[in-house]
Amino acid sequence: MASFTATSMSMISLAKPSLVPSARISSPNSVSLSIKGRNFPSITLQPTGRRFQVTCAAKQETVQKVCDIVKKQLALPEGSSVTGESKFAALGADSLDTVEIVMGLEEEFGISVEEESAQSITTVQEAADMIDKLLESKC
Amino acid sequence: MSSLLDKARLMMNIHCLGRNLVTVSSSLHHVQLPAQKEAHFWYVLPDEIKDTNLLNQYFEILSPSEKESVFRMSGERLKKRAILARALVRTTLARYQINCQIDPKALKFKKNSYGKPEVDLQYTEDWNLPQLHFNISHTSSLIACGVTVGSPIGIDVEEKQRRLKNDVLAFARRYFSPDEIEMLTQIADPELRRLELIKLWTMKEAYVKAVGKGFSNSPFNTFTVRLGDHLKTSVDLRPRVMSKAHEITVEPPDDSKNISGNWQFVLLELYGSHYAAICIEQESTNRGKRSIPVNLMLRKTIPFVEDECIFGTDKAVVIGGLTTLLEC
Repeated sequence: MASFTATSMSMISLAKPSLVPSARISSPNSVSLSIKGRNFPSITLQPTGRRFQVTCAAKQETVQKVCDIVKKQLALPEGSSVTGESKFAALGADSLDTVEIVMGLEEEFGISVEEESAQSITTVQEAADMIDKLLESKC
Repeated sequence: MSSLLDKARLMMNIHCLGRNLVTVSSSLHHVQLPAQKEAHFWYVLPDEIKDTNLLNQYFEILSPSEKESVFRMSGERLKKRAILARALVRTTLARYQINCQIDPKALKFKKNSYGKPEVDLQYTEDWNLPQLHFNISHTSSLIACGVTVGSPIGIDVEEKQRRLKNDVLAFARRYFSPDEIEMLTQIADPELRRLELIKLWTMKEAYVKAVGKGFSNSPFNTFTVRLGDHLKTSVDLRPRVMSKAHEITVEPPDDSKNISGNWQFVLLELYGSHYAAICIEQESTNRGKRSIPVNLMLRKTIPFVEDECIFGTDKAVVIGGLTTLLEC
């Protein structure tokens, strides 16, 4: 169940789609948001909402990019529904597709994925979360 | 000889008794168990199966959770593939009971600690079920199930015409071992290189699935698979009983605490359109000695309808590994 505080509501509404891909995200402290039962890494609650809105927008944009890469890899027809919840296997990805997707993600985001992590990714959201975590740790 | 025995059994209608078992007189042709060093390779061609009644029959033998998985697949084609894959596993394993009939629906499965599916024998103490190992692989045009007794098995099937989205060498550099990258780099023709990559992929995948500890415990770049004489530029399509010494070897990582044992490979070309790799563990008494061939029985099936023994035909050609194809 979504649980929003008043503060978090306003933060999310500040999120803007324009985002510098290499924007840095400082290491977390304080509040951790819980949305739909998923815990996002805790995010600095500073009056400078800009950093925060960057974090939220990054997640949405990451998911979108992952969806695009998956659609391309699996040659899904236009209009196919791919969302954060989409499981790779349910979309018809086999193990060769999955490793190609990982390669595509590494190239797109400039990250390097460990074999252990690569295997644990089964959905678009999991891939996006992993990417964001890796991007975060690059600071 | 064995078919007479089967007919007798069917007539006597011997059913396995046990809990949760609804006895069904099945129209599955029974087969002898694989012997040691023997592997059975069963496959279906989805395009041959269009009858919705038959597909419903297959769907009905699935467990509730398997049915749920089918519903989660996106689109009719993927749903059909999922149904066929599970039905192939259940009907294939059900054939191997010698003394009585097993309802394919009654088989139970579990996963090992790394997620590899296995037959759950806990429920079958009444049945005298042999220690069957199995592994499946599917492409859109061919779904296969490999079976052995007493040896872990891994299989992988790929369409020869499969195009990678990435450049072949870039892909190899990312995932394969240095020796394999070197081998691929030396192939000048891009098409041959791509085919060689697909072959390597199927063999490596079959190996990891046979070991059964997951992709991350056997990263592809930590072991090298060699297919002897890989630089041969044409595939001999004459039907063969025993392959020439295109031996396939695997060099495991130095730290072999995760991977032990001696593994044997078979590489097949099916219908000129698919590569299929099979990997089984060589029995320990034979390690270090000259390899003896893997005995392989191939069968195309439409479960509940018909089986076809694939032998002495160029529908299936051994292109790697010491193998003897068996008559059924």
